[in-house]
Amino acid sequence: MSGAQTSGRTGRRSFLKLAAASGAAVVLSAAPGAGWAAPGRNGGAGSGDLPKPKVYVLVVDGCRPDEITAALTPNLAAMRDGGANFPAARSLPIMETIPNHVMMMTGLRPDRTGVPANSVYDRAEGAVRRLDRPSDLRAVTLLERLNAAGFTTGTVLSKEYLYGIFGDRATYRWEPAPIVPVSGHAPDASTVDALIGMVDSADPDLVFTNLGDVDRMGHSDLTGTTLQAARTAALASTDLQVGRFIRHLKARGTWENSVVMVLADHSMDWSLPTNVISIDNQLWLHPELRRNVQIAQNGGADLLYWTGDAAAREESVARLAAVVAAHPGVLSVHPPAELRLGPEAGDLAVYCRAGWRFSDPYILSNPIPGNHGHPATEPIPFFIGGGSPSVLAGVSSEPARTVDVAPTVAALFGLDVPEGGYDGTPRTGALALA
Amino acid sequence: MTASRSFPPPGPSGTVLPRRQLLRSAGVFAAAATLPGLLATGTPAQAAAAGFFRHGVASGDPYPHSVLLWTRLTPADSAMPGSGAGADSRVRWEVSRNADFTGLVGQGWAETGAWRDHTVKVVAAGLEPATTYWYRFRFGQEYSSVGRTRTAPAAGAAVDRLRMGVVSCANYQAGYFAAYRHLADRGDLDLVLHLGDYLYEYAPGEYQARDVVVRAQDPAVEMTTLAHYRRRHAQYKSDPDLQALHAAAPFVVTWDDHESANDAWSGGAQNHTEPAEGTWQERSGFAQQAYAEWMPVRYEPGGQLYRRLEFGSLASLSMLDLRSYRSQQADSQLAPAIDDPDRTITGAEQMDWLLAGLSNDAPQWKLVGNPVMITPVRFPSTLNTQEMHALSELLGDRNIDGVPYNVDQWDGYVADRNQVLRHLRDNAVTDTVFLTGDIHSGWACDLPVDPLTYPLNGRSAATELVCTSVTSDNLDDILRVPERTASLTVESGIRTLNPHVKYLDFDSHGFSVLEVTPAEVRMDWYRLADRTDPASATSRTASWTVAAGTQKVRPASGGILS
Repeated sequence: MSGAQTSGRTGRRSFLKLAAASGAAVVLSAAPGAGWAAPGRNGGAGSGDLPKPKVYVLVVDGCRPDEITAALTPNLAAMRDGGANFPAARSLPIMETIPNHVMMMTGLRPDRTGVPANSVYDRAEGAVRRLDRPSDLRAVTLLERLNAAGFTTGTVLSKEYLYGIFGDRATYRWEPAPIVPVSGHAPDASTVDALIGMVDSADPDLVFTNLGDVDRMGHSDLTGTTLQAARTAALASTDLQVGRFIRHLKARGTWENSVVMVLADHSMDWSLPTNVISIDNQLWLHPELRRNVQIAQNGGADLLYWTGDAAAREESVARLAAVVAAHPGVLSVHPPAELRLGPEAGDLAVYCRAGWRFSDPYILSNPIPGNHGHPATEPIPFFIGGGSPSVLAGVSSEPARTVDVAPTVAALFGLDVPEGGYDGTPRTGALALA
Repeated sequence: MTASRSFPPPGPSGTVLPRRQLLRSAGVFAAAATLPGLLATGTPAQAAAAGFFRHGVASGDPYPHSVLLWTRLTPADSAMPGSGAGADSRVRWEVSRNADFTGLVGQGWAETGAWRDHTVKVVAAGLEPATTYWYRFRFGQEYSSVGRTRTAPAAGAAVDRLRMGVVSCANYQAGYFAAYRHLADRGDLDLVLHLGDYLYEYAPGEYQARDVVVRAQDPAVEMTTLAHYRRRHAQYKSDPDLQALHAAAPFVVTWDDHESANDAWSGGAQNHTEPAEGTWQERSGFAQQAYAEWMPVRYEPGGQLYRRLEFGSLASLSMLDLRSYRSQQADSQLAPAIDDPDRTITGAEQMDWLLAGLSNDAPQWKLVGNPVMITPVRFPSTLNTQEMHALSELLGDRNIDGVPYNVDQWDGYVADRNQVLRHLRDNAVTDTVFLTGDIHSGWACDLPVDPLTYPLNGRSAATELVCTSVTSDNLDDILRVPERTASLTVESGIRTLNPHVKYLDFDSHGFSVLEVTPAEVRMDWYRLADRTDPASATSRTASWTVAAGTQKVRPASGGILS
């Protein structure tokens, strides 16, 4: 980050425009009343105890745990190997970006947040749509709870729809820019520009960051089943950006008070062009089902909604399940409650096998080889690094999950458990808490 | 054990092993030898010569709160194994936290008699998890030797480390069990995993160390009757090194084929001839009954040998039975039967049970005690006739048909292997490690998701670590050449053709040590200098590790310290 700052105020929010290393300007917004260049509440003020650390949650979107290696991603690998590592970590249903980011920031499963997948069929609107509106998230997030406790928070989310659903919940926000056409995300170089800018200008106690390049290159890499050329390049480049952020914290002297939590929201699986499932296609032989079923496609998972006569629902859904399960590429069919998905997920959740993908309504609707959402894409990296003495080095067998992020971060800040409790588990074995 | 054989066998210098050394070997440690309580108990070698407890003590299948204890009572000289003679008797058992048995935490009486060949099996319950215990038996005023055992960690508990000996294929006629003694001497094992071929069915002269019968098996015939199987078990249990290892740590065992007969399947065996040797049902029933009587295992005849043990949140250990339910081996890899989905190596119920255990809700490491190799292995067509012949003998005579191929392994049951691989891949099950014996050689392999694309993307669904034989012949023995000479060509040919095979040693005999931590599963292979020397030295030959979450083997340096 370099260059001068100019701050302004529009309406009730304040804005900060920064010149960034990548050349593009970084524009940050702040909640009413929040200042700039102000240290966080616990930014070093001493009462004798350790200062509360600054916490950075970095989501390397779509990264597989086996992709973090000393050769390809040295910065990430060093942080994992020197920190607290959870090799048995996994994503939770549906293994998509939006629900798992929501689980990270709430500590709650989708049946308590209203966010089970990226795409759902909205019965009220009568359309399949993305869950990218602030009102889609029904639960109180960790961001809001920290703000209420007097801490400051920030979101630096590379994907437009993540910025959409988290909205202005954090004290400080970055609206992703510039946006890569089609992919709908900002490149990691810009995202890390924004992250550094936010740390330097506002220094929030918690910053929640999503780095989208690895996921986007995973989806689009046509050599995914074999060489993964583009994907590999993205991993190396994202690692450089993570390294830049670490070096920046060290240069500004705050590394020793930083906790960096790195994880993915899901991993990635590559399908062959021939291994495509179109449920719509399957239902051609069952016109009474086809007329009354809506499909929300989520990569390796499809959500099915019965829209016909309510009296016929039970019997029709059972028939639908049988028809769908007969496809050789279908791994399993679940009532959404079994996966704790809530009513927004409809009547059936369908998973594909490894090496397959859903494409609805047409076989050509989903042309990309890289997909996630199905169980093959559950394993994720999950480790806690940073210079803070709160971080204990080691490897744990514990089954860490995305939903564990909020309770773990909350424990670092000494936050109370929310009403109704968490669905996640604080992974405090990795932390030395005051 | 026969009347004609003197026991104990000679020690390293041809003399009887000194009492102090045997105690140390028994895992009771040198310092304990001075304890009055132990001095009264006698040693395995002494007990074997006479007295009520001639076959040592053993423990097995450790659970968090219980462990199985075993011994064999000889109430009178006439009550020899397999004789059917001897009165019904009650044996006292004791479990203590201390080697001197001050303060018992468990005790009781066990009934035995000729109806179970006077073997004794009791489950000591009410124990604490992850705790070391000592146990012994008493008949009249005589105590057995003392055994050490250790319970499994509590369900779900965090576990830093699990360490085990891994062994298979111990042919009494092919040498001495120095491998067992070296493991017993370590004193750091949580358990010993025995992957089968714990004993062999052959008569003297049928299968030994190259041409030399180092020690003749008893009885001097191929075992086919209940009395034969019982006597053979008794002979093995008379070996001081095996007794020492049993007394040092709990065993977790499964059988392979030689516990009954070579290349056994559900309806017969390669080494079974009807009607001369009776029906297979009858013979395998004898084998299973003797196994249940003589092995420290939670298994009774007619029951189910496959079972799962758990070690906190660190690891599960699924022990497979790949003989009782399998379809007959195909004649060759060219037979259409190889990938016939109706043929099975596990049986349908065991497959369902196995896959249920290979779950992400299970403990971190999914270890599978797997009697025969699951890694696909193609054998090079560039071998000369002699090499082909030797491989064929190592893998089984019937398995050659132009191209060598082991149809007795999972390679002969492709549909079942595909089902396992597909399950692992579809559900992204991580940290599954197959621990295997049978093939008298050391291997470290990735288990490719797809062997065709593996050379490009290296994608692996699981890993397999194979321990070598304690004594049974391997490639250099069959080729009749010095170790690490002609075998090197064959090994290099196999590794080239199978890039997922990372380590292969066709020559060494010995044992492995496996260490499981949240970060990795690591195996060290040890070789014996000379399997025909009871005092043989040992040295580490290789170390490979599987880092958590990788599903890949890679070389490691240094040895697991004892």
